[in-house]
Amino acid sequence: MAKRDIPEINAGSMADIAFLLLIFFLVTTTMDRDQAYKRRIPKKIDVPQPPVEIQNRNIFSILANSAGEVYIEKRDGRIQNLDDLSDKVLEFYQKNEKLTPDEALVAAANPNHPGNNYPFYTWTDEEFIKGEILKAEEDLEKTENTENVDPAIVDFKAQILSKWMDKQKALEMYGKDYLPEIDYQAHCRITVQQATTYELFTKIHSELNEAIFQLRDEASKEIFNESYGVISRRFDNDQSREDADKLSLLKLLYPDNFIEVKPKR
Amino acid sequence: MSKFKKEGKKSAPGVNTSSLPDIVFMLLFFFMVATTTKEADPTVEVKIPSGVRATDMTPYKQRSEIDFAYLGVPRNKARAAEFDMGYALFLDNVEQPSPGELYNTNSIRKWKQDKYDEKRARVKKPISEVITCVKADKGAPTGIIFDMRTELQEIEALTIAYAVRDNSNI
Repeated sequence: MAKRDIPEINAGSMADIAFLLLIFFLVTTTMDRDQAYKRRIPKKIDVPQPPVEIQNRNIFSILANSAGEVYIEKRDGRIQNLDDLSDKVLEFYQKNEKLTPDEALVAAANPNHPGNNYPFYTWTDEEFIKGEILKAEEDLEKTENTENVDPAIVDFKAQILSKWMDKQKALEMYGKDYLPEIDYQAHCRITVQQATTYELFTKIHSELNEAIFQLRDEASKEIFNESYGVISRRFDNDQSREDADKLSLLKLLYPDNFIEVKPKR
Repeated sequence: MSKFKKEGKKSAPGVNTSSLPDIVFMLLFFFMVATTTKEADPTVEVKIPSGVRATDMTPYKQRSEIDFAYLGVPRNKARAAEFDMGYALFLDNVEQPSPGELYNTNSIRKWKQDKYDEKRARVKKPISEVITCVKADKGAPTGIIFDMRTELQEIEALTIAYAVRDNSNI
């Protein structure tokens, strides 16, 4: 059979098709990135419990009312310029950071000491952590072997053990003899009113995040020679084990304990 | 002697457009990669405030591990009067028993639970880890957000995020 010419396909309308697709995607998608402050809502407690006594020095209480005024309770009073808020939070974390254990004892006893109204740090060394791990292991084993034990209690004991294991790992990574830790009760508390605007509310969160970022960034540069932002962004992408450990050390050094109080009026 | 001969009537040569589809496809792929699909067109107006050091929600969005709730002034001005302080909630594409409940804080529990059931097959996380992102207007009262938090607490959906526009350089 004679060779026949294969007819060419007319590709002239290809551009039209591509344009159509392009315009479809232009219309249905957005370029702006969604950014937000991630927070935890505390678990609901079924049985009301008596409130835990917390020393004033461990509370950084921010009040924001419906008129847009911001106060720091029992510390600086009214804040005129909201941009100063992050510096105040920094001060809250760092005031007693450089005190030695002995100096901290003196400061706690002296009501006139400038550091008295700020949370204190504790220093845990490897020996102590190892002892606690042994204790937690024994305790866990004992609870597991008890008859009719509530699985929630076993869970709780296991959590204690893993907490100390994490600390051991963190100390190893930290590379010093002691792991400084801020008082576990130290926290920032945000109290708003029903009509406080969302803008003011997020501004406070913004300042808190800024302060925590600065603290962790400084520590991160000192320990890992890398900025905190770089590590956390890399972790978002590849979820590597190494970065997870780095981030958990930084979180242990500067925990972000924020409490948001439900407004009463 | 003239070398430049004026020719009588010669039509201009046609521009070769065979590479046009390539160019357009290139643009198309750029936009497909660089953008994310719109979740929904909210029926409330939201101007979100700005802030610094916010967490990027895009990775969660691409894995669709996040639910957006919008809090703003209803575009339909006649409806605005019905709500507390004129602000209403918009919960996207979940069937609601009645249109009024679409804007009600009380329905957020059902909305979140439905959304979670829908994605349970794909997302292996417990509901307490699935983020609820609140996109609220600058002037929205925080009281409503705390009402939402109480509702979310009931079903153990314990991660919330407050949307802002990040100004810091990335």
